[in-house]
Amino acid sequence: MTEKIKTDFEKTVKTSAFSEKDVALKEKYLNRFIENGFPSRKLENWKFSDLNQIIKKNIGELSFYNNDSLPNKVDTSIFVEGLEHNKIIFINGRVEKIDFTYEDQDKIKINDDFKFMDEFKNSNSLLSLNNAFANKCYKITLKKGYSMKKPLVIYHTTNEKIKSRNLNLRLEFELEQNSSLRLIDLFKDEAENNFVNIFYNFDLKEDAILKNYKIDKVINQNIRYSYNNIEQGKNSVSETFILSSGSNFSKNEINCNLKGEYSSAFINGIFSLNNEQHHEVRTIINHLIENTKSFQLIKSVLGKNSKSVYQGKIFVDSKAQKTDGYQLSKAILLDETSEFNAKPELEIYADDVKCSHGSASGSLDENSIFYLMSRGLNYQQSKELLINGYLLDVVEKITDSEIKNLIKSMVGISE
Amino acid sequence: MLKINNLNANIEDKSILKDFSLNINPGEVHAIMGPNGSGKSTLSNILSGKKGYEISGEVLFENKNLFELETEERAHKGIFLAFQYPLEIPGVNTNIFLKTSLNAIRKAKGEKELDAIEFLKLVKEKAKELKFDEEKLNRQLNVGFSGGEKKKNEILQMSMLSPKLSILDETDSGLDIDALKVVSDGVNTLRNKDNSFLIITHYQRLLDYIKPDFVHVLMNGKIIKSGGPELALELEKKGYENFN
Amino acid sequence: MDTREKDIENLKDYKYGFSTDIENIRAPKGLNEDVIKFISNIKKEPKWMLDFRLKSFKRLQNLKEPDWQKPKYPKIDYQDLYYYSAPKSMSDKPKSLDELDPKLLETYKKLGIPLQEQARLNGIAIDAVFDSVSVATTFKDELTKQGIIFCSMSEAIQKHSDLVKKYLGTVIPTTDHFFATLNSAVFTDGSFVYIPEGVRCPMELSTYFRINASQTGQFERTLIIADKGSYVSYLEGCTAPMRDENQLHAANVELIALDDAEIKYSTVQNWYPGDENGKGGIYNFVTKRGLCKGRNSKISWTQVETGSAITWKYPSCILKGDNSIGEFYSIAITNNHQKADTGTKMIHLGKNTKSKIISKGISAGFSDMTYRGLVDINPKAKNSSNYTQCDSLLMGNKCGAHTVPYIKNKNFNSNIAHEATTSKISEEQLHYCQQRGLNPEEAVGLIVNGFCKEVLQQLPMEFAVEAQKLVGISLEGSVG
Repeated sequence: MTEKIKTDFEKTVKTSAFSEKDVALKEKYLNRFIENGFPSRKLENWKFSDLNQIIKKNIGELSFYNNDSLPNKVDTSIFVEGLEHNKIIFINGRVEKIDFTYEDQDKIKINDDFKFMDEFKNSNSLLSLNNAFANKCYKITLKKGYSMKKPLVIYHTTNEKIKSRNLNLRLEFELEQNSSLRLIDLFKDEAENNFVNIFYNFDLKEDAILKNYKIDKVINQNIRYSYNNIEQGKNSVSETFILSSGSNFSKNEINCNLKGEYSSAFINGIFSLNNEQHHEVRTIINHLIENTKSFQLIKSVLGKNSKSVYQGKIFVDSKAQKTDGYQLSKAILLDETSEFNAKPELEIYADDVKCSHGSASGSLDENSIFYLMSRGLNYQQSKELLINGYLLDVVEKITDSEIKNLIKSMVGISE
Repeated sequence: MLKINNLNANIEDKSILKDFSLNINPGEVHAIMGPNGSGKSTLSNILSGKKGYEISGEVLFENKNLFELETEERAHKGIFLAFQYPLEIPGVNTNIFLKTSLNAIRKAKGEKELDAIEFLKLVKEKAKELKFDEEKLNRQLNVGFSGGEKKKNEILQMSMLSPKLSILDETDSGLDIDALKVVSDGVNTLRNKDNSFLIITHYQRLLDYIKPDFVHVLMNGKIIKSGGPELALELEKKGYENFN
Repeated sequence: MDTREKDIENLKDYKYGFSTDIENIRAPKGLNEDVIKFISNIKKEPKWMLDFRLKSFKRLQNLKEPDWQKPKYPKIDYQDLYYYSAPKSMSDKPKSLDELDPKLLETYKKLGIPLQEQARLNGIAIDAVFDSVSVATTFKDELTKQGIIFCSMSEAIQKHSDLVKKYLGTVIPTTDHFFATLNSAVFTDGSFVYIPEGVRCPMELSTYFRINASQTGQFERTLIIADKGSYVSYLEGCTAPMRDENQLHAANVELIALDDAEIKYSTVQNWYPGDENGKGGIYNFVTKRGLCKGRNSKISWTQVETGSAITWKYPSCILKGDNSIGEFYSIAITNNHQKADTGTKMIHLGKNTKSKIISKGISAGFSDMTYRGLVDINPKAKNSSNYTQCDSLLMGNKCGAHTVPYIKNKNFNSNIAHEATTSKISEEQLHYCQQRGLNPEEAVGLIVNGFCKEVLQQLPMEFAVEAQKLVGISLEGSVG
């Protein structure tokens, strides 16, 4: 890999307009990545998902060079219907379009100065990789007191021009005091066998509200890693919903720093997997000050040869009295080849806290199936009905009713 | 027995009791009636030694300054509080709790501690008197007890510990008529020329069963009127709002 | 000259120069093949035993000390330790209880430990034949009648060589982790128990009455085998704090349950935790593992861990036989500067296997407590289930409580349920107890014992009463 990545790096630098200083920095990150390689099971965080092996097995040799000088044609047929929305469109990792038609232009600032993100506590070699190869980093700032009128949909698309490619995506959001953003990440791939490496950074000031819905639903043969870092000021709220179902391999990491009093974080997720799919969600919630709250609910439905992993950590600093932290992970194993792994973790240094976690996994309840069948449903119908009900309460946690209905119809879940 | 002189209590800058004074002699039963938020529960909390209040004034119990005593020392000296909301303590057997408590108090008084057999005999006797389900004595303290059972458990503890001054903090709330009878029987049995009672309540109903010697009306942290049992009836008729 | 003396005589000329003072036989400092040969030799072990040790030692060369655990400790120089030392001569030991730390004596008094026992625990030279030895002898006669073997490991290696050879290292192999392998190379002594087919051991076997107690040292090795249809309950340790000059303790305990057999293993560990400032104290790095080898077998671990500066142990069950059951009940208390990283592993291999984990952790002072556990249901372990509950109680905000469970469900017919909570003792509960006449420490003791009840219930009667007192005492000084 080393030779290949070095040549690809040279090419990337040559075809882009980075300053000498930036190139030097990028080279530093490149070397750091080369030194560490892709994360493997030797690292505690990657114990359940050995990315190095997964890439080797599914892709083989990756190429890291992407020619971003040529624009791609935007296929408008992919746009979400029945929902007025703003857009950011990625095609093959390149930002093709940024469109905030529905918003007051003076309330939103878009900046594309490249900035390295290396200050994360829980960074890994993938951040170095991203720093070395990402060629644009947009920062979107919502001004004080501004609530975006319509949701922002980020389209993550690829076309069949690429294969065995590594794509590095990056976005930054700053939500100034009392501003709010609804953000939908929609994954839609034509291409196969690529490794997509996404880093988002959110900075939520006092009273800001972020709602992020990540929808990976269309079956595709790609490997995806996505990292959200969320900094939260006083009274701010973040809500993250993850539908993890489409990619071949996917790992979503959410790192949330509750730094302001009365801030809260909610993470809800659904894994619906089949056929060799292997998905992971890893969350770290750092309660760093008094009176903060976090809530997590993750449910898996696992078909043939599939595997889901939930690693969730609640950290409570000794200053963070009156913390309220909760996490629950549940899984239904539908086949003898399905596998569920969990590591729900509490690390607590304050005594006046309410923290708990629970995990339950097993097969579909045969008694319930029997009951439904005795009422005239066939086995398949009974099963679907039960799974539907099982997943419904995760979707019900979505606080935005417009998006909740959209997701319900996308997932095919009904009340 | 109990002398309260100009007691003031604040919590987070909010004044709850204002120059509150009360004198209870041995053998007397006093009732304090007042609407929600008048300071009733604060009074029982302070007398039992709950922390978190800023206090000034003086409270003497048998001529000793109560504020110099820890909560458990007050219990040792014979102050008993029947809690408005008795606590659940998971994993702790009711019998064991009662025995530990009884022996702690006996020990402090210089009396012989009871062994398991003596204790069981006593507790069974008392439970029977109070129609307290014996089976519950072997359950975790107040865990899964109904509101009425918790209150009866308080009265059982009171009769086991034979205190000099019993404070009943809204013990009647949430009780049906049968339980109310059991509770008042418990109090009346313990009532004699040496033991005193301070009954804190919202309604007149309990006072039909336990005849008080004195009734005091508490409003906004102050006793606004004192009198005999007839005062309770007057209060019931007029309601707190029109009482002034 | 008997053979032992001859052995020592022979070794005298060795290049490292062994001490020949019979009163104080000691291998030189350091860890090497010669030291291991010396230990094996002095214990008159058969060749296979020496081979076992040497194999372990060889393996040890390639192992690194693990460092993933939460409690960190200063680096241990393994070449600076003595691996064999005969009991100290009388003159080195404290002469009377007056020479001991008065705080320790106070604790004994609270626990109600008889004077002679106090003396024995501290290795004080006393002339009187104390009760436990004679009691042990009486017990031994009764056990022999039923064919039960209960003796020291050294004795077992001599007299029951076949049994030891067959089972030793089958649950904790010589190829295990660093400390377990270190133990396999240099273990000194420990207990051996064999319960023959169909026998229900009529009494609790206990190291409390062990004849060889003073010699087990820091690398203890215990092996318990329950043959088909047998039952045994084994108690380890005692509630009195034991002083020991060895800072590192790396014991290995192996349990093997054959078809329909049941082993119940209870531990009360209350070694010296160091002083209030975290100086001194034992490092308790123990490997305990049980193999439910046969069908319908059961292994149940119960532990009350209140001592040691650092406790690092995971008594585990390998549920190999179909329908086998594994249980783990634990109370761990840390106060002052103590650190504990403890839990269990339940490895489900057989069909219809069940496991249950109840863990209660209490941390106070500046201490740190971690529950770490693994539940692994393998694809072939059909219809298996696990239930885990781990609760933590914190007292103050200078301490930490951590829960790190690993859950792996690879069988769709199997269920795993896990619950964990963290809480504190509420002011209201304390106030309620105090209003009923209990002082704050009694109140905390009572509430904490209630919190631990499910585990205390698992202990044999006589142990349970002492353990309850211990729970209260361990938390002394932690109530503000």
